[in-house]
Amino acid sequence: MKIGGVPTQGDFHEAIATRSDRWYSACLKITRNPDMAADAVQDALLNAWNKRHQFEHGARLDTWIHRIVINAALNQIRKSKPGIFEPLETDIEDVTATPHVELENHELESRLARSLSGLSEVERICFVLKHLEQWRIAEIATQLELNDGRVKQAIFRAVKKLRISMQDMQRERNE
Amino acid sequence: MNDDLDNIVAAHRADIHKAPPHLVRQWHVAIDEAAALERGREHKVKSGWRPNSLFWGMAVSAALAVGVAIGFLASDRAITTQVPQLVDIQPQTNVIPAAFTRGLAAHFRDSKDQLENLDIESDSAMLILQLIEQNRLFQKAADQSNAPQLARVLRAFEPILLRLAAAETAPEDAAALRAQLSFELNVMLTKLANESSDKTHST
Repeated sequence: MKIGGVPTQGDFHEAIATRSDRWYSACLKITRNPDMAADAVQDALLNAWNKRHQFEHGARLDTWIHRIVINAALNQIRKSKPGIFEPLETDIEDVTATPHVELENHELESRLARSLSGLSEVERICFVLKHLEQWRIAEIATQLELNDGRVKQAIFRAVKKLRISMQDMQRERNE
Repeated sequence: MNDDLDNIVAAHRADIHKAPPHLVRQWHVAIDEAAALERGREHKVKSGWRPNSLFWGMAVSAALAVGVAIGFLASDRAITTQVPQLVDIQPQTNVIPAAFTRGLAAHFRDSKDQLENLDIESDSAMLILQLIEQNRLFQKAADQSNAPQLARVLRAFEPILLRLAAAETAPEDAAALRAQLSFELNVMLTKLANESSDKTHST
């Protein structure tokens, strides 16, 4: 995998061939919408291509693109639901998904991924960024324009809910 | 308790959803097209200014200026005619303004005319790049008007235009792409005309 230097067309093809499943999957976890995830990856790739001269020496191309992909997914969410990250007293669960989208999600996703749908949008995104993408709390807070406390609270609630759904899954498996 | 969290995180990390093959192909093509477009641009810069490209640039800029002016006039008229009917005003979320739809129809019509009259042998890349820029403006406006499906349709035009602009596209492929674009633009124009006539009948 490409490390440092200006990436070539071939380097991008290699990154797509080996890492695009991870990018798409991460976007799906953030957006829960296959169209938005697909658009996010495409936007990010073109963005990365146009900015490839800024690619830093010593960095990994796939990791660099991954970060751009995650930002593109967050932009997709912002565009589709303006004000989604604005502070509320309590987060509400995503009720805007249409039956069609819900059905699509149901068919596309594993049981495990569906457990993320029990979280509010902010809880899900904060959990994914913190635990799956390994962003720092401060980074998440800056990107989502929230304060650190709210991010921590969202992650705490997300983990609590996911623990319960994980226990349910294990119980069902044992029965 | 922490083991519990580690298990949850590990399970979610391992849960990779494969990207559909047609999307992966689309991403490869997008990179090839962006690279081809860039090479085309470099080629144009090296070959310098030609009176023909200057003519097309000026023509498209003039068309854009007229389009923007018409857009402004249309939106002004819409405001003045709506003012006396304050009682009928409905929440406007998810409703694309009529002036935008008219501007979009003009964009589709102009694009179609220009592509049909395009002389592929001559310096056409500049004109197509202008069309792409204009298309992006409408795409952005559609996004901001909360019309994601329309934005997606507009986004889908871009790879075809990029391929058409690429220096190495064979003339026969270019002709096929122009025919495809012309067909798609016709479909969109018919759709917009039907929607606007539905609105007229319903009022």
